[in-house]
Amino acid sequence: MTAAATSNERAVSTAYGVAGLLAFMAIWEAGGRSGLLGASFPPISEVIEYLIDPTRRSLFERAVSATFVSAVRGFLIGAGVAVLLASIGALLPAARDGLDRFVASVHAVPLIALGPLFIVLLSRDGTPAAIASLAAFFPVYVASAAGFDDTSRTHRDVFSALGASRRIRMRLLQIPCALPSIADGLRLAAPAAVLGAILGEWFGAPRGIGILIVSSMQNFQITQLWASALLAAAISLSAFGLFGMLERFVVGRVR
Amino acid sequence: MTDTVITDILQTIDLIEPAVGVPEAVAPVTDALRLTNVVKDFPLRRGEAFRALDRIDLTIAKGEFVALLGPSGCGKSTILRLAAGLEQPTSGTVMLGNDEPVTVARRQGLGVAFQDHALLPWATVAANVAVPFKVARRRVDHDRVADLLELVGLTEFANARPRQLSGGMKQRASIARALALEPEILLLDEPFGALDAVTRRRLNIELQNIWARDHVSTMLVTHAVEEAVFLADRVVVMSAKPGRVEEIRTIDFERPRRPELLQSPEFHHVVDELTAALDENSYVDAVELG
Repeated sequence: MTAAATSNERAVSTAYGVAGLLAFMAIWEAGGRSGLLGASFPPISEVIEYLIDPTRRSLFERAVSATFVSAVRGFLIGAGVAVLLASIGALLPAARDGLDRFVASVHAVPLIALGPLFIVLLSRDGTPAAIASLAAFFPVYVASAAGFDDTSRTHRDVFSALGASRRIRMRLLQIPCALPSIADGLRLAAPAAVLGAILGEWFGAPRGIGILIVSSMQNFQITQLWASALLAAAISLSAFGLFGMLERFVVGRVR
Repeated sequence: MTDTVITDILQTIDLIEPAVGVPEAVAPVTDALRLTNVVKDFPLRRGEAFRALDRIDLTIAKGEFVALLGPSGCGKSTILRLAAGLEQPTSGTVMLGNDEPVTVARRQGLGVAFQDHALLPWATVAANVAVPFKVARRRVDHDRVADLLELVGLTEFANARPRQLSGGMKQRASIARALALEPEILLLDEPFGALDAVTRRRLNIELQNIWARDHVSTMLVTHAVEEAVFLADRVVVMSAKPGRVEEIRTIDFERPRRPELLQSPEFHHVVDELTAALDENSYVDAVELG
């Protein structure tokens, strides 16, 4: 009964999503064709046509794979460090406040200000991954730290009365308890890492979607600009959707 | 006015009680639990404090089943939390045998079960019962786990997840977990408090059977008079604001106690008397508040 109801609800919400997307594309198409939105707004069919044109295939492929690799590297590093620091905060309560403040300060620095710094410190190749890792770090840290804290009082009492050490408590109680929250953090971090990688590319990476966007802007290649933006959005959304599935799976296992 | 009367009564009790308590340091300890002159204050706003427990003296002998009975807010759960090392007394001492509760907890000598079953939702019933082994870094004794599951009638549900169990089954699993490492003392805080009356009665009968097997020293916190009388060797009646021991009643129904006992007139007589004692204390409360 309930399973059927939820799958029904999901079908309805998917239908709404598809309808919304189609409506959006229709408005875009109409706006572009009528010219009402100005010269810098080509109809979406033109953008898609540009994107799938076989002569530009290798161009987009190289850009996408460069951005994808940077985003994945950054995501892994950022999320890994975030979970590690949050675990340290959970195991050493004395370190917790300091860590929280440190993370908040790091997050307060605009990523765009760090770009030139990374170019100097790392390399042109490393900058996109570095910025992607910073972008992914914050949501994962916040979600993990909250997740490790999210144990119920009676669970904590039972473990205390059983004389559990902090490490045992972490392993048997806090980590499983935190998994849904961490998965949620990863879901938010995945598109952030993609956007971070693109941002990092602006500072002069050899290739990538970011470079494509910058060069299209400078050369007034409107259609190519839109095509690149569409690609970036598609990658971000796929990453978001993929980790959304992971989250649902984890929640089903843990709760 | 009433305050002074109660203080007088308590002082009289104090005069009698320490006679047993003083030479205890020399004699071999036979108590599973001993609270001596325990006071517990909880800080409220600046400088103010709420006195949850006022000069509590209480012992549980080895192998004895003691029920703490009282209205909500009388501090009975606080006594249990002190015994489990989850709270520290403001003054006075809490000893489990020769050791402090935290020491006993560290050597996995405590078994606890709360009203909220606190099973791990991601683990199977068997894995939940095995948790104390893992906490103690011991190899899981699967025979012991299977034995406990049989004892609480959950053998068929060994691989089920807690959310697939009924409320009563979850509590049984929680009690099995509490018994896993053969604790020195079993601390039960309203374990059946959230269950319906029929299930509750059935689980009381089951708990009595489980307990009859190895007579582990037990403290049961409850507000159900029937439950206390059916299960306990002694019932400690408490009053609230601040929490005090009003009366200690020895229940000498023969063991093992059969379900028929619940229908007997003697049983009902004791239940009525203790209910009246509880009621009186609530009346004192009302006067104090008025």
